[in-house]
Amino acid sequence: MLIQGLRVLWPCVVLVWLSLLTGAERVSAAEVSFSRDIQPVLARNCFACHGPDEGERQAELRLDLRESAVSSGAIVPGAPDQSELIRRVFSTDPEVQMPPPRAHAVVTDAQQELLRQWIAEGANYEPHWAFVPPQRPIPPPLNDPELQRRTRNAIDRFVWSRLAGEGLRPAPEADRYTLIRRLSLDLIGLPPTPEEADAFVRDEDPLAYERLVDRLLHSPHYGERWARPWLDLARYADSNGYEKDRPRSIWPYRDWVITALNADMPYDQFSIEQLAGDMLPGATLAQRIATGFHRNTMLNEEGGIDPLEYRFYAMVDRVATTGTVWLGLTTGCAQCHSHKYDPISQTDYYRLMALLNNADEPDLILPDPDIAAQREELEGQIARLEEALPDAFPPLAGEGTLTERRRQALEEAFAAWSAAQQAHLVPWTTLRPFEMTTNLPRLEVLEDGSIFSTGDITKRDVFTLRFRLEGLPAPLTALRLEALPDDRLPARGPGRCYYEGRQGDFFLSEVTAEVDGERVTFAGASHSYGKISIGSGTADAVNVIDGEGSTGWSTAGREGEPHELVLNLKQPLPAAGVLTVELLFERHFAASLGRFRLSAAFTPEARASELPADVQALLLSPSEEWSPMARERVQREFLRRTPLLAKAREPIEQLRRSLPAFPTTLVFTERPPDNRRPTHRHHRGEYLSPREEVEPGVPAFLLAFTQEPPRDRLAFARWLVSRENPLAARVAVNQAWRAFFGRGLVETAGDFGTQAGPPSHPELLDWLACEFMDRGWSLKELHRLIVTSGTYRLSSSGTPEQRTRDPDNRLLARGPRHRLEAEILRDALLAASGLLSSKIGGPSVFPPQPASVTALAYGNETWKTSTGEDRYRRSLYTYSKRTAPFAAYAVFDAPSGESCTARRDRSNTPLQALTLLNDAMFLEFAQALAAQVVRETAAAPAEQQTTLRATNIFRRLLTRPPTDTELDALVTFQQRQRERLERGALNPELVAGQTGAAADLAAWVMTARAVMNLDETVVKP
Amino acid sequence: MSRFDSPWRQTRLGPTGRDLCPLPDEAALIRQTRRHFLADCRIGLGRMALASLLASSPLAARGAGGTSGSPFQPRAGHFPPRARRVIYLFMAGAPSQLDLFDYKPKLTELEGKPIPPSVIQGQRYAFIQPNAAVLGPRFRFARHGECGAELSEVLPHLARVVDHLAIIRSVHTDQFNHAPAQLMVNTGSGIPGRPSMGAWLSYGLGSEADDLPSFVVLKSGGNLSGGAAMWSAGFLPSVHQGVPFRGQGDPILHVSHPPGYDDQAQRDTLDLIGRLNRERLALVQDPEIETRIRAYEMAFRMQTRAPELMDFSQETRWTLDLYGAQPGNPEAAFANNCLLARRLAERGVRFIQVYHADWDHHSQVEQGVRTQCQKTDRAAAALISDLHQRGLLDDTLVVWGGEFGRTPMVEASAALGRSLGRDHHPQAFTMWMAGGGVKPGVTVGATDELGFHPIERPVHVHDLQATILHLLGIDHRRLTFRQGGLDFRLTGVEEHHPVHEVLA
Repeated sequence: MLIQGLRVLWPCVVLVWLSLLTGAERVSAAEVSFSRDIQPVLARNCFACHGPDEGERQAELRLDLRESAVSSGAIVPGAPDQSELIRRVFSTDPEVQMPPPRAHAVVTDAQQELLRQWIAEGANYEPHWAFVPPQRPIPPPLNDPELQRRTRNAIDRFVWSRLAGEGLRPAPEADRYTLIRRLSLDLIGLPPTPEEADAFVRDEDPLAYERLVDRLLHSPHYGERWARPWLDLARYADSNGYEKDRPRSIWPYRDWVITALNADMPYDQFSIEQLAGDMLPGATLAQRIATGFHRNTMLNEEGGIDPLEYRFYAMVDRVATTGTVWLGLTTGCAQCHSHKYDPISQTDYYRLMALLNNADEPDLILPDPDIAAQREELEGQIARLEEALPDAFPPLAGEGTLTERRRQALEEAFAAWSAAQQAHLVPWTTLRPFEMTTNLPRLEVLEDGSIFSTGDITKRDVFTLRFRLEGLPAPLTALRLEALPDDRLPARGPGRCYYEGRQGDFFLSEVTAEVDGERVTFAGASHSYGKISIGSGTADAVNVIDGEGSTGWSTAGREGEPHELVLNLKQPLPAAGVLTVELLFERHFAASLGRFRLSAAFTPEARASELPADVQALLLSPSEEWSPMARERVQREFLRRTPLLAKAREPIEQLRRSLPAFPTTLVFTERPPDNRRPTHRHHRGEYLSPREEVEPGVPAFLLAFTQEPPRDRLAFARWLVSRENPLAARVAVNQAWRAFFGRGLVETAGDFGTQAGPPSHPELLDWLACEFMDRGWSLKELHRLIVTSGTYRLSSSGTPEQRTRDPDNRLLARGPRHRLEAEILRDALLAASGLLSSKIGGPSVFPPQPASVTALAYGNETWKTSTGEDRYRRSLYTYSKRTAPFAAYAVFDAPSGESCTARRDRSNTPLQALTLLNDAMFLEFAQALAAQVVRETAAAPAEQQTTLRATNIFRRLLTRPPTDTELDALVTFQQRQRERLERGALNPELVAGQTGAAADLAAWVMTARAVMNLDETVVKP
Repeated sequence: MSRFDSPWRQTRLGPTGRDLCPLPDEAALIRQTRRHFLADCRIGLGRMALASLLASSPLAARGAGGTSGSPFQPRAGHFPPRARRVIYLFMAGAPSQLDLFDYKPKLTELEGKPIPPSVIQGQRYAFIQPNAAVLGPRFRFARHGECGAELSEVLPHLARVVDHLAIIRSVHTDQFNHAPAQLMVNTGSGIPGRPSMGAWLSYGLGSEADDLPSFVVLKSGGNLSGGAAMWSAGFLPSVHQGVPFRGQGDPILHVSHPPGYDDQAQRDTLDLIGRLNRERLALVQDPEIETRIRAYEMAFRMQTRAPELMDFSQETRWTLDLYGAQPGNPEAAFANNCLLARRLAERGVRFIQVYHADWDHHSQVEQGVRTQCQKTDRAAAALISDLHQRGLLDDTLVVWGGEFGRTPMVEASAALGRSLGRDHHPQAFTMWMAGGGVKPGVTVGATDELGFHPIERPVHVHDLQATILHLLGIDHRRLTFRQGGLDFRLTGVEEHHPVHEVLA
């Protein structure tokens, strides 16, 4: 292997940083570094035509590979003057010159000299640092005794030795109020209460800080706080996206993330379960729920789309997201052409896609025990009520006891009903096909002779089934098609519709049949139930034999139940030859059947029956022969249907409607080996231009340290978080670093490729990556390591000199200080107001927002504002609608869940000011906060109340006590507003949001609102 | 020096003349400047280059409001602009070009007959089967104005301003479903998540409005398929996202004082916030605090100015009638929005997106088109003549169009209860432009006799976007942004060009 055993030269990168910060020009007499000096020049000026992209490659020359560069004569190691590259780069002849003049690219004199020197020194290539597994660097020593004393862990040695080299010193440690606020916001996403802060400030234990860290890491809110950035990566949302943007149920995946993080599930396992939990041996329910990660892609439900086209786009998204999260690589370019800079060919890209492309995408029903218990209870009630139905039967008139007359009436009616049913019921013989072909879905015959469909479906599915008629007992007179429910189907089937129409719906357009090439003619058709979804057309059985594809049979509204359709033949078919039945499913959305069965009858009176199959079977034998149990079963069915009991059944129907549904979630299920989904290379990345099929696999350049290249999704997942992948740990620690410090050690959080900037602290990055893996991929340990460093504990107030030298704090001489993320901001204000609910998990909720936000979205769904506790849940439980994101979060840069977000913006805008000042949701917090503070201090001596209240409001929002000036400003403001409220210039009831509110309370509301808008309130200090 | 011509950029043109180096994300610019400086040192540009780069960077002094150094600071493009702002009348749902602009008598002749298989082979449709019958134009057409452009009888008002228009009858797109096609027109891609045209322009040119967003979104009619992704900033700094305005009441979310507060209370509050923030700034020295102080001041200015913006009583009766505007009447929402668009244009808003939905006539296309024309024709024409009278048309670009066209074939479906409609037709549709830099009175492009395919001067949606950018002084190939390893631009990766035939 070319790059095996090579070491990346970190000191060079450090040297570059030295030069940047001191402004000193690098001395060119020093040795030339490929990564630092040459690779960027070649990449910028040459690779577009002489790089990895074979489509654009000129003259068969690759300069990104030493072998090609040397064998072509472009580079003659040690002999720059014989190297064509040097001749061309130095040439002024427009015909010879490289890059050619039309490229408008300039290789400067200095760069030219560096190229010459590099070739003279042997033209050594080095692998890109990020493509070589991290080796644990030794933390550098600190010579300064004061720094030695302040060092808390190895992180500080990396950061401060670097600072010392720059002639900078770390800021002093932050005060304790700042520390507990910073730590709480970072670890659990909530501010400390003033009491918690005071306890910490007074705590004299030398390990007080570490104990605080421990407490917060064990808080159940830790998982809620850290789920949010992961959900950004997972592009989590509660709606499908695109036009209709209907709700989806995938919150169990969100809860899985919270639970896994709280349990400190090792990151490798955490990753494997999300990518391929379904493929783990004996996969648990939780492991299957975890595969929701890649089900967070959008689903276009617009009528008329090609569903497979949007499935392709979802796959593109899955490849990109996997690349960003576990590889730190931007693979997107290679969708359309080979990557220009990183060695990912277009085929490599589709091979990556193939690794992820072999899953079906069902809904998983979760057998929630609470719901099961509720259902059992209700079903018991229903059964008891049904048992009592005979007692409600209208009695016959005449003599005898009421009971007797009732019994007689029931028996007579039941006997009449049974006879009427029996007249149309005929025995059916299941037909088992010997051959099944389709346009795309895969059909499989189950034990009961029913046929189950898997694989991909389209807007026009055709099932062709072939049956041998030999051996049938008599000439065939009718065909029955049963549409059957199945737990594996959307909404339990019987159809496979999963977008646009109702979940589990189907639409059978036409049924045609022939025997040995001879068309079979139908005389009539009947169905047990027919209703269409989307549209005003009929859904009658006859539609399937009318020769018109746009009409058909459908059973919308009764998903999860069996239905049947019977076709009577004009002429009986003799029991010989081969019967071919073709089912056509054609609509503006994909809606073929998921489970169905065909049977044959041999008497002309066959009709479709609404009765369940078991009752039909019983009715076929004479009623005298029924066992008591059989009789009971048939009678129960009669009682459920007879119009005579319609009124009496109402409470039963009501109970049935109130049966709580089991929650569902979206998962991956790997396809069986005999039904693999092929993956093709798509010319120019276009869905409509598939080319040759590709084998699943990882790009070769990442496999330098791999024994056994992964060939399926599970192996791929395992490889991604193995030590053989040089990137996963680096990317993960970089994300964590970014969460704490506001920027990653690698600035481009999702891109570690050759075009990304070098890390600010390369050795620290690698040390953390190694430490992370050595500590069993424990995220909590990683977080503990970071927050217990001295670097994290520094004050964020910088001296003017520091600010000038390093305005962005890349060198980390100061502690982090940045605006809170949207959700943490709201949560912090909710917590301060005393309203915050501590409930964890469950379906998403709808806190208040202006009606105009959702009015812009498609459809008539209104935002049904939650009441009670759900109004005040943590923000990660807010229903996330992709086409109408929650306004107060969007304005603070929260993503919409449309694509993987490794890095949020952190803007600072007037619209944010308007939101925090005027949004009714935030005003409600201010009102609650003031009311609570006023209530709590009601018993305090009058002369202390004002100070107490101002201090309390301030501390709930900012943690630290106010200075005298601040206190004074608040009190003055409150008094002035109270005075205006008292004299009627302002309305206290409106301001305080409650009738009968006093001017004093209203003035405190105004004060709380002002403090909520302070810069310090909205930042992590 | 503008962000378009820093020396740094000139060194980074790709071999094909395509700009390999994107305009950097401006937030990232400052963050990464040191890295570039490092690179530039080695290539000999030295510290002077850095200094000038910083000076030209919109974030050299960070800020939020319309103040100097903010991301909205007005910036020059690649060449002198012909238009300074855009009012884009987006007819969502896709109006039938065959019943409005692209007259095809041949369809009348063939009505009821299946369309020739050779024409339709290999095309994908949303709802209809490819053997559907031909449906003739539903209205009479006549020539209008000096230019003699052919318009349907349901556009009587547009007919009066037709000499201002450049009509393009050969627009085509890649997408045949609403959401992706609307996204395609707005963001250059069918997949949600890319920056919209308004965001690109705000990012590229900044804002000329002191107290209004640079990119405003107005909407009337029913559902918008593309949703918020259509005015998203995508991966551009989020400050450039479109701000939805309402046509009545508070134009911007939360721009009114909360119940019970008056101007004085709000002013007192901001004074308190400002005072405490300044104290904090003195202590912590974080320039973000300074930005926040300015953001709050600008918020207050927006609150002060918003009522004036929405005060249609400043308009004469004559103007209101010209548009058919009726403040407060939702039935006149499009007209009200057109008038509001003019007022926003006057106040320097860069990109005003006016959506009107309800053009999706899968059934009864005749009645549908007639109804929507009644709602929109007068106001769209009024916008042109009003801007013209006020001298604003010279530097305001007005664009009208949907996301695709409609089929020459009839759509009918028993299942859906549809008849006499038209399905989606991405192959050809009509749009028009007027104002800033547009050649008036021309008709560009033509379709075949069935109105099926362009046969003359096909104009891809990306060409149209390139044209709009061109009119605003931007070379669409050079307004790029590096994201996920790719240099994204509005107009995608293929070769596209401004439509020179419509340039004055």
